[in-house]
Amino acid sequence: MKTKKVAIVGVAQTECKEKIPEYTAKELLYLTVKKLLNQLNITRQEIDFIISSSSDYWDGRGCSNVYTYDGEGAVLKEESKVEEDSAQAVAYAYARLQAEYYNTALVVSHTKVSITPSIESLTHVMSDVVYSRMFGIDELAVAAMQAALYMHKYGVTEEQISKVSVKNLGNALNNPYAHRKMKLKVEDVLQSPILAPPLRKLHCRPSSDGACAIMLASEEVAKKFTDTPVWIKGLGFCNGRHYLGEKDLIDVEALKIAAQAAYKMAGIENPLKQIGVAEICEPYASQELLWYEGLGFCGKGEGKKLIDEGITEMNGELPVNPSGGVLSTNPQVARGLIRVAEAALQVMGNAEKRQVSNVNTALAHSTHGLGGQLHTVIILGR
Amino acid sequence: MSRKVAVVGAGQTKCGRRNDVTYIELIHEAVKAAFEDANLSIKDVDVVVEGTMPAPMEGTNAPHLWHVEGAAAQNKPLIRVATCGSTGMSIAHCGYYLVASGLYDIALVIGSEKMYEGVGLTSQAVMSTVADATYERPFIGGAPPAFALQCIRYIHERNFPLEKAAEWAAMVSVRNHEAALDNPYAHIKMKITVDDVLKSRIISYPVRLLDVCPISDGACAVIFASEEKAKKITDTPAWIKGVGYCGDDSMFVDKSLVEWQSCILAVRKAYWRAGIENPLKQIDVAELYNPFTYQELLYYELFGFCGRGEAGKLVEEGIIAKDGEIAVDPSGGVLCTNPIGASGLQRVAESAHQIMGKAGKRQVSNVNVAIAHAMGGSIQFNGIMILSRDKP
Repeated sequence: MKTKKVAIVGVAQTECKEKIPEYTAKELLYLTVKKLLNQLNITRQEIDFIISSSSDYWDGRGCSNVYTYDGEGAVLKEESKVEEDSAQAVAYAYARLQAEYYNTALVVSHTKVSITPSIESLTHVMSDVVYSRMFGIDELAVAAMQAALYMHKYGVTEEQISKVSVKNLGNALNNPYAHRKMKLKVEDVLQSPILAPPLRKLHCRPSSDGACAIMLASEEVAKKFTDTPVWIKGLGFCNGRHYLGEKDLIDVEALKIAAQAAYKMAGIENPLKQIGVAEICEPYASQELLWYEGLGFCGKGEGKKLIDEGITEMNGELPVNPSGGVLSTNPQVARGLIRVAEAALQVMGNAEKRQVSNVNTALAHSTHGLGGQLHTVIILGR
Repeated sequence: MSRKVAVVGAGQTKCGRRNDVTYIELIHEAVKAAFEDANLSIKDVDVVVEGTMPAPMEGTNAPHLWHVEGAAAQNKPLIRVATCGSTGMSIAHCGYYLVASGLYDIALVIGSEKMYEGVGLTSQAVMSTVADATYERPFIGGAPPAFALQCIRYIHERNFPLEKAAEWAAMVSVRNHEAALDNPYAHIKMKITVDDVLKSRIISYPVRLLDVCPISDGACAVIFASEEKAKKITDTPAWIKGVGYCGDDSMFVDKSLVEWQSCILAVRKAYWRAGIENPLKQIDVAELYNPFTYQELLYYELFGFCGRGEAGKLVEEGIIAKDGEIAVDPSGGVLCTNPIGASGLQRVAESAHQIMGKAGKRQVSNVNVAIAHAMGGSIQFNGIMILSRDKP
């Protein structure tokens, strides 16, 4: 079987904010899709199918894509919805594009966290109703336990974790779509209030409203849309354990499996050398260091070295999150697709002020679930 | 070019009020049955696709992450796909495409629902939140009123005499209930007459109690395999011949509920991809998604089993009976069993088992081609999968 090559040929994002009260989720999607179509100078007639990514909980309604269907431009088209992680929507679209009757796909995602009670309350109800929920478990609490264990086991310091916030929120200053942008020193981060020890406010993601859309095309038609198609070279996703009591919170096996699948497909043996830029999903600063290890950028317990040595800074060997990452911008379900979009912009050379020089290969990572239960890794290249 | 894919095994739970098991145990029951059916185990699975109706129905966000242990998904690729009532079909499509793409060889697809789980927040309350918050929700309480609109519109546009339409609908109900008696997994099992249906209480005019599906707890698992693997697993794989899906605008007022474009286009796409030109002749079994009797009548027309306004004839002449030209819902359909996230996938499982000759007492003789269907959203989504004994 001959695999069809699939490229990202266009990307559009909204400017993410704490609140976008002037538009409904449907309107926000419409505007983002329209922006993408205008940019490519096409109409929705040229889209063969659509994969959306949103969530009933995060949209506060049953069947979120029922409501957004027209905003996506999906009316009387084939559509499906991947719930919770929008990077997986890209993986699904890639698989579908292998069918002989498809050549183009639109992938869209949005969340308006401002219309939800809070990220804590909606991730609280992700926990097992019998064994975990009564302890008040939520995404933040699990990330804090994970950070504490990580610090304890590998001697990671508060300063090292804070350096991730300084780097990412500083990078965000160059990103017109980012929500939280700050020029910080490590001391500023350490003076921000504690939310769940050891994590402080500036170690934790904000809550954002925003949407993202990308256009995929098969090799046959990709050149019609752009001179700089960004090819999907590899992808992988993997789920780990659920019950907190039976998992090692700093064991990143699921991420390793996902990354290895993507690397194998893309022919990557030495990620640190072969990847030019990485957009990874770090809702909590400590997780960025942990994910470095899962992604094979360094060995176990060595995440702190990468940040200390500046390897993941903008001018380092492997810049991580030039966009500012999830620490700066977090429209919950859309954050995975934004990672893919930002990685694609880097390969296209269209990342403007946040552009890393000479990017041939980029990595996009996404995760959801408590403490990072399900991970997705996508490799893009020229 | 994508690869050929077949269903190599399927498993279902007994449906109904399943207070005897947790949600995760319920899913495990279906997965275990599918593994036994295909003679496979967890280690054979390359990817798991999961789906349910709105997760608020059971009160847990991102339920696929919670279901891991029942779903054989630990340290495996897992993806959640959800499209309201058509979820069961959308996950089947996802499993099919993931295998066809060459990314994975064996996909385990699981649909489930535990609709009696809701405490305080009933399933109908959650379903009311599917309708538009500003313009529609004040008028809609749960699913039946929405679909009753479609039923009455159908009667009106076809100019059917009301009594006649009610009688055809009642005959549809009797046939499905009779079929469910042969289905060990069915929820509502009772022998009824046309008169019972016509005298049952009105739920939402013109839909009566015996014209509408129940809510159920239940799960279904279907295993999709690549050609190479399928041949090793079974001598009677059910090949996927073609799929189709389409969605309408979300608002009730922005679409025709009778010349229902999403249904017509999804069916046409699937027929085209599967090379079906004369459905009545070429298809042997149709597992239609029939939560409402009147809707089943409309489907005969939109699927091209008959012309516009001729649905009643198919019922009266027994063309859609088990021994008729095309056997519709020999399982008893959604009308008798409705764990929503699983309902669409049950249509695929039933179609596959009819082709594999494993449908037990509900087996239709000489099944070569079967069509599975699911519907959902605000009278909005339709999905199709056509399966066949012969390799496409």
